[in-house]
Amino acid sequence: MEKSNRLFVFIGALVLIGLIFITRLFFLQIIDTSNYYKAQAYGSNEITIYPARGTIVDRNGQLMVYNDASYDLMVVPQKAKDFDKVALCKELIIDTTEFNKRLKKAARYNPREASVIYKNLPFYLYTRLQEVLYQYPAFYIETKIDRRYNINGAAHLLGYMGEVSERELEKDKYYKPGDVKGITGLEKSYEKYLRGIKGKKVVLVDKFSKQQGSFAGGKFDSLPTAGENIISSIDLNLQIYAEMLLANKIGSIVAIEPATGEVLCIVNNPNYDPNLLVGQQRNRNFSALLLDPSKPLFNRALKAPYPPGSTFKTVQALIGLQEGVLTPGTRYPCHGGYRMGSITVGCHSHASPLDLENSITKSCNAYYCHVYRSILDNPKYSSVQAAYLQWTKYLNSFGIGTKTGIDLPEESSGIVKKSAYFERVFGKNWRSSNVVSISIGQGEIGLTPLQMANVAAIIANRGYYYTPHVVRSIGDAQYVREEFLKRHYTLIEERHFDSVIAGMAKVCKPGGTAGRTGIEGIDICGKTGTAQNPHGKDHSIFIAFAPRVNPKIAICVIVENGGFGADYAAPIANLLIERYMATDKTAPSSKPEMQKRMLTANLTGKKLSASDSLKALVTKTIK
Amino acid sequence: MDEKLHIDWLTVSLYIIIVLFGAVNIYSANSGVNEAISLDFSKEYGKQVIWIGISAIIVFLILLTDYKFFNFSAYGIYIIIIGMLLALLATGSFNKGAQAWFKIGAFKLQPSEFAKYATALALAKFLGTFDVKFEGRRNQLISFGILLLPMMLTLLQNDTGSALVFTCFILVLFREGLSGWWLVLGFYLITIFVLTIIIPSWYILLALLLILAGFIYFIYKQKQLMMVSILIFIVSAVYIIGLDFAFSKILKPHQQQRILVTLNQDVDEYYANKQKSFSFFKFEKKENDKKSESKRDYSYNVRQSKISIGAGRWWGNGFNNGTQTKAKLVPEQHTDFIFCTVGEEYGFVGSSIFLILYLLFIGRIFYLAERQKNVFSRVFGYCTGSIIFFHFFINIGMAIGVLPVIGIPLPFMSYGGSSLISFSMLLFTFLKLDANRVNEISRLY
Ligand SMILES: [Zn+2]
Repeated sequence: MEKSNRLFVFIGALVLIGLIFITRLFFLQIIDTSNYYKAQAYGSNEITIYPARGTIVDRNGQLMVYNDASYDLMVVPQKAKDFDKVALCKELIIDTTEFNKRLKKAARYNPREASVIYKNLPFYLYTRLQEVLYQYPAFYIETKIDRRYNINGAAHLLGYMGEVSERELEKDKYYKPGDVKGITGLEKSYEKYLRGIKGKKVVLVDKFSKQQGSFAGGKFDSLPTAGENIISSIDLNLQIYAEMLLANKIGSIVAIEPATGEVLCIVNNPNYDPNLLVGQQRNRNFSALLLDPSKPLFNRALKAPYPPGSTFKTVQALIGLQEGVLTPGTRYPCHGGYRMGSITVGCHSHASPLDLENSITKSCNAYYCHVYRSILDNPKYSSVQAAYLQWTKYLNSFGIGTKTGIDLPEESSGIVKKSAYFERVFGKNWRSSNVVSISIGQGEIGLTPLQMANVAAIIANRGYYYTPHVVRSIGDAQYVREEFLKRHYTLIEERHFDSVIAGMAKVCKPGGTAGRTGIEGIDICGKTGTAQNPHGKDHSIFIAFAPRVNPKIAICVIVENGGFGADYAAPIANLLIERYMATDKTAPSSKPEMQKRMLTANLTGKKLSASDSLKALVTKTIK
Repeated sequence: MDEKLHIDWLTVSLYIIIVLFGAVNIYSANSGVNEAISLDFSKEYGKQVIWIGISAIIVFLILLTDYKFFNFSAYGIYIIIIGMLLALLATGSFNKGAQAWFKIGAFKLQPSEFAKYATALALAKFLGTFDVKFEGRRNQLISFGILLLPMMLTLLQNDTGSALVFTCFILVLFREGLSGWWLVLGFYLITIFVLTIIIPSWYILLALLLILAGFIYFIYKQKQLMMVSILIFIVSAVYIIGLDFAFSKILKPHQQQRILVTLNQDVDEYYANKQKSFSFFKFEKKENDKKSESKRDYSYNVRQSKISIGAGRWWGNGFNNGTQTKAKLVPEQHTDFIFCTVGEEYGFVGSSIFLILYLLFIGRIFYLAERQKNVFSRVFGYCTGSIIFFHFFINIGMAIGVLPVIGIPLPFMSYGGSSLISFSMLLFTFLKLDANRVNEISRLY
């Protein structure tokens, strides 16, 4: 080879090496992505900055739910090597086998990502760890915000926070393992507003896992956006008072502002303290609540279908009037009840015959057997079944047999049977006499306390309602959800309400079924109910609104095993109305005897211990 | 100087691009995470700016110097540098690490960097002498002597990387007539050496035997060729067994580990496998934690380097935005691992463009070298190209994990005054010689 041609050997070598290097680079940078992901894990740490969760205040601006900091010890398992395990366990006051178990679990989840290794550090551990943690570069403390509830009951309303499940992690990319979200109540239904937007900080980490400061001058960092603060429609004072009145009784109270559909209070008893489900004791407390035979986790107000009893007569009367089978002047006789063949529906003794107005005031059973049968046997319809179908349409327009659409999770639609159900039970051509108990709200009919309160609101409004809701507005802009501004009209014309309301207005006056429970100076329109309970004493039920003109509050009270409507439900409802209507909220009740009787009554069948919740509730300050 | 300066501006442009790009990357690797872009002369990137300034002055001086000066003083410079290396050895004033320094104020100078320059001059001078022909056995030995002397002195200072660079002069000798077979032989011996250490020698012998059998099957009629190949096999076998014995029985564990680490071997795994597999020589593994530590550092370097480059993907993170770079996860990133910064911040596209530009730069030097009319200039040109090429090949190969970790800088890119100045001197001395060639030609018209 001519020596000058050896230049081409050199050039060839350069080209060859260039090709080899570029191919290798292509493999390293494009094909093999593992280096890229390792780089993300090593070089920088993305730290999530949790936004402050929105607070919840009541309609008067009183704080109901707020935030409090808690601290978790986090570990990046891959980096947790070569550290003094024994010393760290000593700091944490935890034995090494337990520690190893947790570390292994974290490593199994994701060795490169931080996982919680010690949840909810007690404050003394938090302060002590801060001084020694620099020796353990794989560990750091993450500050999380815990929810605090300013009220010991109301758990069904406010809800509580819990860790997101694996399924939710997949569904919503917002969440990362270990995050919490609203599990029930307002916390759940307004999760998207309350949670805010997470921020992040990309922090550079050197080979000793020591943070070197934020990356690229914070170019990739973002500040968290705090969650929206929510103004609830709940009146905290009323809520607490209602909880006190319902203490040691099983039942439910729902109050609604008829003009807006805003829920003023929503109470269940038994209930539980949402603060129990915060922090370290959460799991233990939750299983205790789940196993409690009194079912404290059961949201009666939204889920329990109670037979409405005589309160249902108001609805029956309105449907009769609208159908034209009943006029305010219609009179039916009653001699201790309604008899028809083998069927007997008893009634208490009262003057007879009664007109519509007085049938409400006196709550005559026989009257409504006549009314209901005339509705179902209306010759306008080809059959009882067709009439029944029309009747259920009326009910649906009252929000009965359908969900009201309240902004809380787990609402039930109550019980309204289809005609087909009776066909199965009584045969194809079942007759109105078969279902006569529905006349007086017994049998195949069930309303949730919320639905009953909504019925009271409908009567107060004379024919329409707004979807009941517990949130008045969202955020600083006080945004109100559009669906809450829409009136839902029933199929009943406004004029038909006069006589029903006139009857209800006399219920809490002498001569009415709850004549001794009335409040001086307030025009309360109510209707008692007593729901037969095959398992024990009857349930005491009362629906009401007040005042008669320009109603401010509609309410439903149910006290299980409370006997007659006038025994417990009506007094409690009227005390609540009095408190709500009072200009001076601290003024004593005009019926101190009745108030005391309600506050101290114990219908649980259990002996009260000194530490029982009654004491706790009574001593609670009402501002 | 009354002639027009006929310097090769293409090479100069590429030089300026590479030096400035180097400074940018040193800044990225060296400045703090959220530091405002500024010039801090107490930091390496600030010092590099000073080195660039000094290099510019030296380049200017070289361009002003008469071209005859280099030829005239070649041996003198060589002798001075050899003297300096000897002085360093004699006084023992080299630090425990690999580098030997002369301290000048706050700056350190590394004679071994300048030894390459001096060797290039001396080799060019010798081969350029009027009646010297490289074909002569005596002249070949003198040529090897010229490069072996500084190589050995550097090796004695424990600077293995820099010493290895002197092997690149073989390329120059190849251009000047050294048989290509020597390159093939050298490649063969190095390959066998590496294989013997990293896989059981028994496998290599078997493989060679199979190759021999196959070869003989085709050429069994040519008795002479058959004898030669059998001879090669026997010599190879002796070489392999000798190496195996020397490595297993003569070398001390820490020496073994040093070699293993250089070959990217996981020391613990290596010993475990070696004991299990069939090997001619069993050896006691003595745990030496200190050495294990250094092993971990080397493999750590390469792993981090690969991660850092891999993080760049197609387009890279952009200037000053490499996470690995800014977190200083790659040790020595501003010096020997400067290519990681290129890889991470400029991605596959940027890195490839950079490699192509750099190879163009080297190719241009070889091209210029070949067009020289006198042997001195040509040999010096090939020396320049070969030295830069060798550094480039080893440095990038190490960073992307295809070659063992040998700590030598990437010319014009890596941080370091001695390196930048010596490479600039080398390049511009050659460009001055090249400019003179053009001047000679232009005088003909
Ligand atoms: Zn009656």
